[in-house]
Amino acid sequence: MIATWYGIVSLMLIIYVALDGRNFGAGMLHWIVARTPEERREVVAAIGPLWSWHEVWLLSFGGTLVAVFPRLMASAFAGYYLALFLILWCLILRGISLEVGGHINDRLWQGFWDFVFVFSNCLLSILFGAAAGNVARGVPLDADGNFSMAFFTDFNVRGHVGLLDWYTMSIAVFSAVILAAHGATYLTLKTEGPVHDRSAMWAKHLWTAVGPLFFAISVESWIVRPDVPGHAIYNPFCWLGLLVVIVSIILLISGLSTRREMRAFIGSNFLIVGLLATGGAAIFPVMLYSTLAPENSLDAYAVASSPSAFHFVSIWWPVGFALAIIYFVFISRRYKGKVSVKRDTQGFY
Amino acid sequence: MNSDLIDPAFWSRLQFAFTVIYHYLFPQLTMGLAWFLVYWKWRALRTGDEKYNQAVRFWAKIFGINFAVGVVTGIPMEFQFGTNWAEFTRYAGGVIGQTLAMEGMFAFFLESAFIGALIWGEKRLGPRYHFLAAVAVALGSWLSGYFILVTNAFMQHPVGYRIEANGVLGIDSLSSYLLNPWAWVQFLHNQMAALVTGSFVVTAVGAFYTMRGLHPIQARLYLRMGTLTALVASVLVAFPTGDQQAKMVGHHQPVTLAAMEGKFVGGRVAGVAVIGQPNIAARRLENPIEIPGALSFLAYGTFQSYVHGLEEYPEDAWPDNIELLYYSFHLMIMLGTIFIILMAYAGFQHWRGRLESSPWLLWVLMLAFPFPYIANTLGWMTAELGRQPWLLYGLFPTRAGYSKVVSNGDTIFTLIGFTGLYFVLGLLFLYLVGREIGHGPDDDVVVGRGEESFS
Repeated sequence: MIATWYGIVSLMLIIYVALDGRNFGAGMLHWIVARTPEERREVVAAIGPLWSWHEVWLLSFGGTLVAVFPRLMASAFAGYYLALFLILWCLILRGISLEVGGHINDRLWQGFWDFVFVFSNCLLSILFGAAAGNVARGVPLDADGNFSMAFFTDFNVRGHVGLLDWYTMSIAVFSAVILAAHGATYLTLKTEGPVHDRSAMWAKHLWTAVGPLFFAISVESWIVRPDVPGHAIYNPFCWLGLLVVIVSIILLISGLSTRREMRAFIGSNFLIVGLLATGGAAIFPVMLYSTLAPENSLDAYAVASSPSAFHFVSIWWPVGFALAIIYFVFISRRYKGKVSVKRDTQGFY
Repeated sequence: MNSDLIDPAFWSRLQFAFTVIYHYLFPQLTMGLAWFLVYWKWRALRTGDEKYNQAVRFWAKIFGINFAVGVVTGIPMEFQFGTNWAEFTRYAGGVIGQTLAMEGMFAFFLESAFIGALIWGEKRLGPRYHFLAAVAVALGSWLSGYFILVTNAFMQHPVGYRIEANGVLGIDSLSSYLLNPWAWVQFLHNQMAALVTGSFVVTAVGAFYTMRGLHPIQARLYLRMGTLTALVASVLVAFPTGDQQAKMVGHHQPVTLAAMEGKFVGGRVAGVAVIGQPNIAARRLENPIEIPGALSFLAYGTFQSYVHGLEEYPEDAWPDNIELLYYSFHLMIMLGTIFIILMAYAGFQHWRGRLESSPWLLWVLMLAFPFPYIANTLGWMTAELGRQPWLLYGLFPTRAGYSKVVSNGDTIFTLIGFTGLYFVLGLLFLYLVGREIGHGPDDDVVVGRGEESFS
């Protein structure tokens, strides 16, 4: 039961990353792939109607985490206090820049909000990447299951670590590159004309860069957590995740080289899903590893809610998820195809 | 230094109070306005009258800005359960997490999947789907309100839980948790209050256009729909929902009722103070003007009913800020009464056919829209201050709930950050909504005066 819910909660977070990741990526590339005000409206139109649908996956993940792993939520959120508020403020700025920028047709106004949009998306990609790096590396948990952490300490990965060190920073860079590649693939699918051509070019470059970077962070991860691969090879979900990764790489490469944009985008989504799923399965059952003493680590069984909470959440959660899939089908049908600035943005005056 | 200022629970409380009060300024309009959009969309479908579609197009823009600010200011609320209230989350997460998760899965998904379709999708969707998008958004926003009120009702009046072997709360019965009688009463009271906010805003815009002589057809629609809904909703806020809410407090939190009314000494034929200030040190209400017996009657059904006084309880069981609680409650009641009188008068003028030609009334209707926001906020302050000193009433004290690892300085820092960010957000919101109102609905009859036009 607890293992299943570890999987479900991870899945919700992974879906969030795949959905909102495209917006982060498109946001980072906003200035590069779109040069004129009209082109920039096109990028915004590709994201605009759906960003809140993507963002609420984070909220649903958070709520489910409270319900089934309350003690993890308590330890992790309090421990990452300042970093989390930085993420929250960036999310606020990102959402506002999308909504507000479209209301007034003025160069300065839109230029300013484009800047806020690019800035917050860059910072979000880096912060979420660093957060993922922190989960993989571990945090200085004490015997009571608490920690609090500086932004950085001595940049080492053992003992009293900070949010940023050489390892988490390289994960952050990897995250920014792969999300940018994801966003470029999305924009290739949704746009036409110059934005499309530039996005397609950037998608190829960025995906090419993902390869060596992935090799580098794999080696680094092995150095930072040498204990993980040993038991990960016995976890069938790791192999399943790797299978997804391999299939999505094939989809991605064939999609990009034959200009089948939908195929490439599906590959891009599942590549992210596969990578995160492999990582999530590899560290199971530990949810938060202690860099001070391994016995302080919080595993899923220790932070889980009472059995009754699992019982009730198992009843209603599938219903909610089924509804979400129905909405997803509705959205995919209604918003399929290329965007049009005239049709898909708020009319301004 | 005041001892409050070195108490970590104080800063986390202040931050939560500030961010939640600010956040709730937006959802109350979302929830109030949503059914106007549904109704107009439905009228447009039935009658084919284009004025209803124009009204939806205009209000959907304001709805969109409002919704976006609501979403982005809502995320910090859920996060603060973990960041600032970690001990509370450890203790009660297994219970309250159920509704926090349900809110995401059942309400937010519904709302956010269709909000884009509602605001941007009229051309893409066609009239029927566009109507359904409005229904989905309205349902989603009310459902989200229900899940949050269940969560709050559990904190006010815990039901359906059990205490597990390791000392934390587990959920015993999901149905009694979800159908907490407190939640139903509070939900209806709260939703009617949200409708009051929505209808006052619609009315104010209608009054503004009427006085300006702009968009006459739209102005009439807003003014009539607005005042009519406001009258019905203002009455329903007071009776039966507000009345039931007060009875519930009297029944389950008698010490809170005593503090809300500034009653230090218990007794029969207890009155409601219309005017008066509580003096905690002297344990009396200064210069009270009371309606005798009203409190006994309203809270417990007869004039002879006994109302408990604060002095019957130890001081550490009293809500920790009685003055603020007292003023919040009394001001809310006063505003609610004024709303009923104002809207009854507007309804009377409407009946006489004079609604659009009473300049004084139009002025008041235009300027009245901030007051439902104030009344909603005061209502929530009454609920939350009245719950003190408990985080979970009778189970878990507020001072035990904050995150031990987070320093005061960190919380003060993020509180200041929120203050700055939310100030800018508020300015932007007012500017953009003001601009939309200045531009007005696209009925191509009259263009707003002094409106800058970029193109």
